[in-house]
Amino acid sequence: MQISPHIGSQLVDLCSALLLLTCFAIVAQRRLSACVDLFALQSAFLVLTAALVAFLTGNHHIYIAAGLTGLIKVIIIPRVLKKVIERLNVKRELVMNVNVPAGLLICGALVMLAFFITQPIIPLGFLLTRDSLAIALAIVLIGFFTMIARQKAVSQLVGFLVMENGLFLGATAATYGMPLIVELGVFFDVLIAALIAGIYTNRLQDAFDSVDTSHLTVLKE
Amino acid sequence: MIEVLVLLIAPLLAGGLSLVIHRSALLHAINLASMGLLVAAEIMITRTVLRDGPFTVLGGLVYLDALSAFILFIIGVVGLACSLYMRSYMDDQVARGVIAPRRLNLFFFLFHMFLLAMVIATVANSVGVQWVAIEATTLATTFLIAFWRRRESLEAGWKYLILCSVGISLALFGVVLTYYSSLQVLGDVSAALNVTQLLPVADRLNPHVLKLAFIFMLVGYGTKIGLVPMHSWLPDAYTEAPAPVAAMLAGVLEIVAVYAILRMRMIVDHAVPAAFTGGLLALLGFTSFVTAAFFILIQHNYKRLFAYSSIEHMGIAMIGFGVGGPLGTFGGLFHLLNHAFAKSMAFFAAGNIHRRFHTVEIGQVQGLAIAQPWTAMALMVAGLALSALPPFASFVSEVQVVTALAAQGIPGQWLHSSGGMVTFALSDQFSSLGFTGLFLLCAVLAFSGLLYRITGMVWGTPPEGIARGETWTLGHLPIIVLAATLVGFGFFLPQPIRQLLEEATKILLIH
Repeated sequence: MQISPHIGSQLVDLCSALLLLTCFAIVAQRRLSACVDLFALQSAFLVLTAALVAFLTGNHHIYIAAGLTGLIKVIIIPRVLKKVIERLNVKRELVMNVNVPAGLLICGALVMLAFFITQPIIPLGFLLTRDSLAIALAIVLIGFFTMIARQKAVSQLVGFLVMENGLFLGATAATYGMPLIVELGVFFDVLIAALIAGIYTNRLQDAFDSVDTSHLTVLKE
Repeated sequence: MIEVLVLLIAPLLAGGLSLVIHRSALLHAINLASMGLLVAAEIMITRTVLRDGPFTVLGGLVYLDALSAFILFIIGVVGLACSLYMRSYMDDQVARGVIAPRRLNLFFFLFHMFLLAMVIATVANSVGVQWVAIEATTLATTFLIAFWRRRESLEAGWKYLILCSVGISLALFGVVLTYYSSLQVLGDVSAALNVTQLLPVADRLNPHVLKLAFIFMLVGYGTKIGLVPMHSWLPDAYTEAPAPVAAMLAGVLEIVAVYAILRMRMIVDHAVPAAFTGGLLALLGFTSFVTAAFFILIQHNYKRLFAYSSIEHMGIAMIGFGVGGPLGTFGGLFHLLNHAFAKSMAFFAAGNIHRRFHTVEIGQVQGLAIAQPWTAMALMVAGLALSALPPFASFVSEVQVVTALAAQGIPGQWLHSSGGMVTFALSDQFSSLGFTGLFLLCAVLAFSGLLYRITGMVWGTPPEGIARGETWTLGHLPIIVLAATLVGFGFFLPQPIRQLLEEATKILLIH
């Protein structure tokens, strides 16, 4: 089956847009476990995008990356996070430094910023998926913002993982995937980082009786 | 070939063994043996590099030149010093019941993984692998920082993990952008992120993409160096980490991150005028230097004092690299070396003081010269060296940086092209004079802040209940050797090290 490059490009853009949409859903979501579910959904879209790029371009090593994403980000990490949340019993609403409507507005501005920054370099790309670079940067920035706006350790971790998803989208869409050795290393790092953060939340809970990072104020000037 | 394998396998093997061995003496022996092998391999690599120039091994995965050999040299020396110091320090902590004996296994395992990650980051040919290794250093060290498991250490470890991981993610975007630009020239090859592939074609890479990539990497790795305004994790982490870990963080890890930026700069400078990267480095360096100099004045905790002094010195080195030219670059590299030696010494002394006085408050430490004469000597030497006074080597390197600054000023094109940021128009001559004046003013501020605090700790009489006198341990050996080296390098730089520094400078200057 042969898909014309134009339609292929449109499909990849559609998938990237779905990723971006889940970002907004995460920003708007107040319940922690729902945030984790949304992250798993976003990762599933990422798998779809990567598989699509692999299919359209015939670069088979992207299938490996897509499979690993599915394993690590759709199954393992959400499960670990769910376990952590269960143990912490933090199902209540999230404490936010920025309320939801303002947060969504800021995210909209961040998307515009991302398109503005990448505008000069996107036409230089020759790959059919080059437009996704702007969306990838937007997802990175939104993940960054989520980390600032949320106070719970777990939701900061979700922000970090969203950033990683954005980076992976950038790598897959703009360059058809990084060299395999780099990609494997990045997966390894993300997995270990998530596990370490999980251990931390347990220890923070034991030490502070809370995972609210606003309690982390002992160290000040 | 064999020496590179030793470099990679020694920490890996030592890390694995650390997990299964339970006798503390044996753990230390393995640690020292692996560090010894590392230094030996490093010396052989340096000899090869100086004789034959840059080379690649392991199918192009590893690339070594004078610059990476120089960084490896610092990793080896500071690592060996830390290992010697840990012998008495860690055993003392176990004896005092601060940690359970079996937690030594975890400590050594993480320490070796930390070393391995830094070695990989230094020898990696691919910019991507280098990123993976630098993120791995974050993961290996976060539990080392939180090792005492007190509330404050957990907080510092968490802050470090989150801030550095986020910073480093931005650097990964820089790597992706670099790959994006290199694909257009090299085509879809898996080696398109290798330095050996990028350098020959660097002038054909797209300048816009590279500029953006460099900014992302500078911010990302700058977080790891602790450049202002990405520095907020650094004082906490250095204060809470066990002394040998703090010495490694301040002495070595920062330098590996600087190395990553310098490597990227070598590539970017081929496509973009050097004033772009130079201007960014110098301005970021200046911000860090000035901010840290003021923060040094208000510190009342001696470990935080040293932490801010780290930010200050990294700022100075960055100014050196940013201003560029043979003198600035040489001074910057030499300053990295001097800072690594002086700062690890300072943290060794801090560890000794903390074990005796049980406080990190400067006001509660007095009469160190009577209570712990050797440590007092180490603290004075480290303090004088960090204040860049003669006859210490850091005086020489700081003078080199400031001379380069006075002669060339901050790379101008960048300042002028971004006219919006610098609203007042300065003639080149005047601006370089102004920057030099500001530099000297802040140097004096940092100098007086640091020395005032340190002399207050050294002189006077010790408080009641503090034991007097100091028994000689293995941990004193690295302190004495480092002190002698710091003075010695000020007068005479041994031929191989001088040659290594000159070759590394040349590599950075070829544009």
